[in-house]
Amino acid sequence: MLEPLAKPAWTPAAAAHLLNRAGFGGTPEEIAALHAKGLDGAVDSLLHAGDDSDLFPLPEAAVPEYMDKYRRRFPGMSEQERRKVQNEMRREARQLMDGLRSWWLNRMRWSPSVAREKAVLFWHGHWATSIDKVKDPFAMWQQNETLRTHALGRFEDMAKDVSRDPAMMRYLDLVQSKSGKPNENFARELMELFTLGEGHYTERDIQQAARAFTGYRINQTNRRFLMAGSQHDDGVKSIFGFEGNFSGDDVIGLIAADPQCARFLARKIWRFYAAENPSPELVEALAECYRRSGLDTGALLGTIFRSREFYGPDVVRHQIKSPVQWLVQLCRQMEIPLPGQSDGILRQLGQMPFAPPNVKGWDGGRAWISSATLLLRYNTSGTVLSGANVNFDALIPADTKSCDALAWRLFQAPLPSELNSKFSAYLKDHGTGLAARHDLVHLMMSTPDYQIT
Amino acid sequence: MSKTLHTRRGFLRTSLLGGAVSWTVPVFLERTFFTLDAMASQVPTGKDSPILVVLQLAGGNDGLNTLVPFTDDAYFRARPGIAIREPLKINDALGLNPKLTGLRGLYDDGNLAIVQGVGYPNPNRSHFRSTEIWQTASDADKTDSHGWLGRYFDSCCQGEDPSVGVSIGSQTPQAFAAAEPKGISFSQPEQFRFASEKASDPAAAEEFFRSVNETPSESNEGGSIGMLQGHSEGGGNTMDFLRRTALDAQMSSDKVLAITRKSKAPVTYPSSNLASSLNLVARLIGGGMPTRVYYVGQGGYDTHSNQAGSHERLMSELDSSLAAFVADLKAQGNFQRVVLMTFSEFGRRVAENGSGGTDHGAAAPLFAVGGAIKPGLYGKAPSLTNLHDGDLIHSTDFRSVYASVLQNWLKVPVEPILHRGFPTIGFV
Repeated sequence: MLEPLAKPAWTPAAAAHLLNRAGFGGTPEEIAALHAKGLDGAVDSLLHAGDDSDLFPLPEAAVPEYMDKYRRRFPGMSEQERRKVQNEMRREARQLMDGLRSWWLNRMRWSPSVAREKAVLFWHGHWATSIDKVKDPFAMWQQNETLRTHALGRFEDMAKDVSRDPAMMRYLDLVQSKSGKPNENFARELMELFTLGEGHYTERDIQQAARAFTGYRINQTNRRFLMAGSQHDDGVKSIFGFEGNFSGDDVIGLIAADPQCARFLARKIWRFYAAENPSPELVEALAECYRRSGLDTGALLGTIFRSREFYGPDVVRHQIKSPVQWLVQLCRQMEIPLPGQSDGILRQLGQMPFAPPNVKGWDGGRAWISSATLLLRYNTSGTVLSGANVNFDALIPADTKSCDALAWRLFQAPLPSELNSKFSAYLKDHGTGLAARHDLVHLMMSTPDYQIT
Repeated sequence: MSKTLHTRRGFLRTSLLGGAVSWTVPVFLERTFFTLDAMASQVPTGKDSPILVVLQLAGGNDGLNTLVPFTDDAYFRARPGIAIREPLKINDALGLNPKLTGLRGLYDDGNLAIVQGVGYPNPNRSHFRSTEIWQTASDADKTDSHGWLGRYFDSCCQGEDPSVGVSIGSQTPQAFAAAEPKGISFSQPEQFRFASEKASDPAAAEEFFRSVNETPSESNEGGSIGMLQGHSEGGGNTMDFLRRTALDAQMSSDKVLAITRKSKAPVTYPSSNLASSLNLVARLIGGGMPTRVYYVGQGGYDTHSNQAGSHERLMSELDSSLAAFVADLKAQGNFQRVVLMTFSEFGRRVAENGSGGTDHGAAAPLFAVGGAIKPGLYGKAPSLTNLHDGDLIHSTDFRSVYASVLQNWLKVPVEPILHRGFPTIGFV
């Protein structure tokens, strides 16, 4: 299991698959360049692309004090004045959030470190928190940076930092949890959704772990983690059969040492990057690899991206694109910027970054597609193409007779022959005028086939 | 046999029998075709058939602050901060949340039934697992990938139009999951169509769109269908699933659009997501959709902290939305045809927590609303002193509620859908 892919199997189609899954796809030229590096070179170049933060100046949300100027005005205000100021505050928070979202989406669109951004997207769906409850753009930015720092690093470090990020502390009510009256919300989801999975802990483990996470508060000046000693329960707890004076970090340590944690995460990572239902043997092999690396996510992804299984016929072109993947990949393929209305598009398609539907994140897979969202994808691709300055002459030369080059750009796979002949017939009937080429691209995107990668 | 069935059958005949039926035909179409001809009986759809609306209160609604045991000392002891002291009395021991004035009125009018203490053995306190249990009607220690409504579609609606189930929203609920999935979902009818008019040759674009989304492609994956069976979730392969969805969307979108364009609500709805969803359902019912089951949701019930204000808002939104929906259906003359039932994945812990909220619990009451409902209180109120791990012990299995609705409202046999019989309750 997880043997490296045989050399002859490293084809341009394999390179395209790697770029689609490890990142957000790319142009035929980018695929060719990745292919030329060879498998090891390609995987290394993706996972060690270096720091790209110079290219992306901080978003406006990255300032902790922005709400203070409103709060300072509160004392002595009437109820009515206060409500007015709160409305102003909400309006500004919304703008900061729009800016932050656009900042991250653009990072996915333009970053040379695509694998890191893709991993941040994975972890955002994993450690799901939503601005709808957190209500603080700064906290959402902080968490996004925490995820970026550890996206391809050690899971245990990430888990400890995430538990101390104000976004998570608010989203799962840690800020209200105190000695004697622990709030179970975080402790439960930590075990159920973030590390072990249902059935691998008891209700008592949750209650005891909740005690260890009491006293987590937010420093109102720098809006970072603060331990309120007087609210923390430092008594002896009993978790998974261990007894001790455990802190929140200790609980995360106990969990990370449990082989089930590696198994749970390895399966989830495989499902995100490769395919829905890995066999139990494959999950064990992945978990073993993750465990041996000390839960180093970059190391696990390196093994996955080199493995024979990752390029198997039941993996390649069997994944339904998430809305973010669909939109960013479309723009990368067509060499256009993200549309201005990306927020609205993603909301309607069911994947609004920074606002997952619940703590489980997005269900993914087939849940992305319903009769409504499928039609929306078809229509939206038309709107995006019309609104962008697509260089059709470069994508489909006016003297073109065949759809093959365009099909490679959009699908990176041979099309079903019936579909292919329909596209060719359309080209023949409508000529290769600009409008016809535009319509053809839109129609190619308005197919079930374009929804998978 | 309904007209829509003819359409679907007609389509399948032309495109499958008229074209080349070969081993490359996606499995789902093949199955559909055979079941069409094998169909022995047909459930009637149309103007007179009963309609079920399922309303999910997502997050775990606090049953004790919805139907309040306002004379029970144990209630006030457990909830010194968030107990409701003056509910809308329905008898000497129980009252509705003060925000549920509309429901209180429906109770007096004889259009509301309340089933108390609904839950299941060995309750699971995970949102996701418990929702799954409710959606699939499985035992707590078993998993089932198909939903209870999906199994209803499978066993009683073979060959019917995909719009026999309509979910308002962008995701299809697991309750609709089926061996042969049916049901469409959308939230904005005006977006529920292929916009070909912007193309340089709209007619050609439209025709092209229809052809690539209708015909089962002679797929290069045809050979691997067998190999992939049962490999991807929900059975069948991913392309089959996408093609089926494209086909269903296309078959339903013309009809949905025509109906929602011409029908207009005769009553004013409040502004909330739930109200918009119910407004849309009422328009579809009024417009004569062949839909048997509608599915809508209201989120936000996971009230771990500062519950008082937020739960009040949720109750108020629920109440005003339902009141408008009922008024709308009455004005249409369709109230007698509709039963709406609520459910939530669990109730909440009897005792409040240290954050002015409540953690995940177990049994809770649910509501059934309709013109033909048999009003009143059903089931036994759970004891607040005899608890299991701090949670209420259920007295009515939720599948008894499902069984009652299936047998006495939708008039279909229960066992093929719920795998075994459950005692029914007399509210329908």
